Amino acid sequence: MIRYVFSRLATSIVLVLLATLVVFLIANTIPGDPALAALGDEQASDPAAVNAFRALYGLDKPLWEQYWRFLQRLAHGDFGRSISSRRAVMADIIDYAPATIELATIAFLLSLLIGLPLGIIAAVRRDSWVDHLARAVALIGVSAPTFWLAFIMLAIFYGYLGWAPGTGRLDPIAFAPDRITGLLLIDTIILGDWETFRDAAAHLVLPSIVLASATIGLITRTTRAAMLEALSQDYVRVARAKGLLARVVITGHALPNAMLPVVTLGGLAYANLLTGAVMTETVFSWPGLGRYTFRSAVSVDFPAIMAITTIVAAVFVLVNFLVDMSYAMLDPRVVKK
Amino acid sequence: MSNGWISRRELALLLGAGGAALAAGLPDRVHAQARRNTLVLGIDISDTISLDPARMAQYTPPMTLNAAYASLVSFAVGNYYDPIPALAESWSRTADGKALRIKLREAKFASGNLVTADDVKWTLDRVKHLKDQPALYNSNIASVAVVDPRTVDIFLIEPGEPVLGALASTTNGILERKVVEAQGGTSAVDANTTDKATAWLNDNSAGAGAYRLTGWQRNQQIQLVRNPHYYGGMPGFERILIRHMSESAAQLLAVQRGDIDAAFNLIPEQIQTLKGQAGLRVEGLASLDFVYLALTTSAELNKALAVQEARQAIAAAIDYNGIRDNLLGGVATRCAHFLPIGLLGSTEKTTRDIGPQQNLDRARMLLQKAGFPDGFEFDVSYGNAAVSGLSYAVLAQKLQSDLARVGIRMKLNPMDQVNLRTQYTTAKSTAVLTFWNPAGVRQFSWATATTERVAARLRWTPPADIVKLVKDATLEQDLAKQEAMWVEYQRRMIEVSHLIVLFQPIYQTVVRDTAKTFPLTASGYQVELEKARP
Repeated sequence: MIRYVFSRLATSIVLVLLATLVVFLIANTIPGDPALAALGDEQASDPAAVNAFRALYGLDKPLWEQYWRFLQRLAHGDFGRSISSRRAVMADIIDYAPATIELATIAFLLSLLIGLPLGIIAAVRRDSWVDHLARAVALIGVSAPTFWLAFIMLAIFYGYLGWAPGTGRLDPIAFAPDRITGLLLIDTIILGDWETFRDAAAHLVLPSIVLASATIGLITRTTRAAMLEALSQDYVRVARAKGLLARVVITGHALPNAMLPVVTLGGLAYANLLTGAVMTETVFSWPGLGRYTFRSAVSVDFPAIMAITTIVAAVFVLVNFLVDMSYAMLDPRVVKK
Repeated sequence: MSNGWISRRELALLLGAGGAALAAGLPDRVHAQARRNTLVLGIDISDTISLDPARMAQYTPPMTLNAAYASLVSFAVGNYYDPIPALAESWSRTADGKALRIKLREAKFASGNLVTADDVKWTLDRVKHLKDQPALYNSNIASVAVVDPRTVDIFLIEPGEPVLGALASTTNGILERKVVEAQGGTSAVDANTTDKATAWLNDNSAGAGAYRLTGWQRNQQIQLVRNPHYYGGMPGFERILIRHMSESAAQLLAVQRGDIDAAFNLIPEQIQTLKGQAGLRVEGLASLDFVYLALTTSAELNKALAVQEARQAIAAAIDYNGIRDNLLGGVATRCAHFLPIGLLGSTEKTTRDIGPQQNLDRARMLLQKAGFPDGFEFDVSYGNAAVSGLSYAVLAQKLQSDLARVGIRMKLNPMDQVNLRTQYTTAKSTAVLTFWNPAGVRQFSWATATTERVAARLRWTPPADIVKLVKDATLEQDLAKQEAMWVEYQRRMIEVSHLIVLFQPIYQTVVRDTAKTFPLTASGYQVELEKARP
């Protein structure tokens, strides 16, 4: 088992580095010049200012040296300075990551809370109204464009009905709590500031539903398919023949065996939610990493792009690693192979 | 499969688990608390990367900086060439003509301390020595000398060249030396490496503006509170919150619901939907920005565009009124050339008198003269972006159809903004459809751009007479004479026809009646928050 863990870890690190190398090479083939993008019109026309800017960010160095310096800094946990925000990329990420982590986690929990039961019931009661409902939910969730859904939700629940608050993480005139973790729900609990907790929670409702919509669909469909497969197996028939309670057959026999694909999907879905919230964050003016990623990309902010790539690759690799580990626990045959 | 595998009760329980998760979050809404005395502005402030005046070079931070800092002089709305007093009570040339002597009014910083000549010198020295973008605007300032606590001399490199426009910029907002020094600020020659005050100035201010900056959460919100010591009288609101809202649709909903008092980034269609709604009004003001078509003059890039008459034919084929009235719903104006309306020598009358007008017969005649009777082909590059709610793609298609009427074939070449900027700045574009947004209100900076850096981008060598005209007009002290010279400059440039201004947008802001007075300005900071009143 230990050997398995180490071999998986080593592969993971190589994978992350490969991902950064690929992105570095792609980013450098873009014809746009980040120095010209970052400087004002007058400075951009001043060769001395442009050269000074390039030197400051190491853009005047050969490609291999730029990448080598990136690796050196990475070894020290330093992502360098962002070209567009002009401060340490790490400071930007520390600023923006909590908003995304909070949103993605709530969206993920929401996906599980809705997707799992809906998928299970849809399988158990195949072709009933619940199954049709599950199919409709999945179809809408997967196929509705995020920005469209976000605007519709905002227009109905905020604009028309007034049930939900508007965009942002808190009401405009609310005072943000002192930063401890940056996760508002956690910070307000630690501080015992329940009014702000309710405000933050209310602001999370619409964006998390929007962000979760596609994942709910995926989890519902996958759970349903896996459960149907499990329910048709001989051991389930035997369990039923023994006269076991329906609940015991479903939760004790079928469900654990149906969980393998769901765990894989769930892991990837969480990684996706963490890294793919650009649209939701844009519409809801959510100060998270999604917007930061987008802005870094359009301004060809190399240090920020490289940092985000490393983080995204690491998140995916880590999640995959955890999924693999859980496989090993759920199904011991994996390790033996 | 309703054969008892799962009971109805269990089904309800399972479904309920999902529903409960939703309901738990659903709001018992934290609703409008006491919002009176708080002005909330909804605007996209994602470009804000610093609120240190001496390091600022973006589009939206001036709004905050103008509220938090007072400059020496300012501009009245509509007149952006004749400055009015702010912290400076009066000014005049020194006897030898080498400096501008400025007499300060008795004004206090937000701390309650008096604004002194020493603070002015320290601020301007710091801007210079930080060597960031704002230092370029002050390139004509040689040095600053304190005469007495309320008098300061600003020595100029080119004594005839105007400097008040630069002093009016929010990048020259006066800082309280003692406070900023306590936070690591310095105005020493090596300030670019030793000054440590920017981090503090990003969250706090040390100015004499109507409000005091008390916090900035990136991509979320900027908070300001009233400065009771403001020299212009008690400011209208206790607090101002500049709320980041990246999407115009979200701004629309928020201003309708009363969560924000003003929405800055609505597109014309959204503004139409608000017309006649109680409690809301639309404030509009011509900006000093404009959208223009730049044409290369290099035969290497395009043989036809190297010929002046061919470029003039393009200017004569464009349906300017159609762009303004149909594409922009009339919410725009047009300056004759590179000097926006609001500057000296640029009015709507100037545009009518000397600006290019659509005349297809003349365009065909010019094509004949240029030696391209059947027209010609050229590539135009533009960014994947929009200005005033109008995308460059739609604008380019309109130009394409206008030019096709005289046989000129315009090929569309959309690209990302960074790529566009790189190509244009390095003089590799045949033609570019883009936007001019000046860094500060300095009349001559528009004109010198056309004879210097923009000229280089279009591979154009400006004739000596135009260069001299710009120089003379810049130095001319008599406003009437100066005005005539700027008109002549525009006339000469229109002949060259490598820069064709298409429109100057009128920016519209939707304001709730919770802000009865809300004076917009084109001075760069969008609204005079110091004069806003409930």
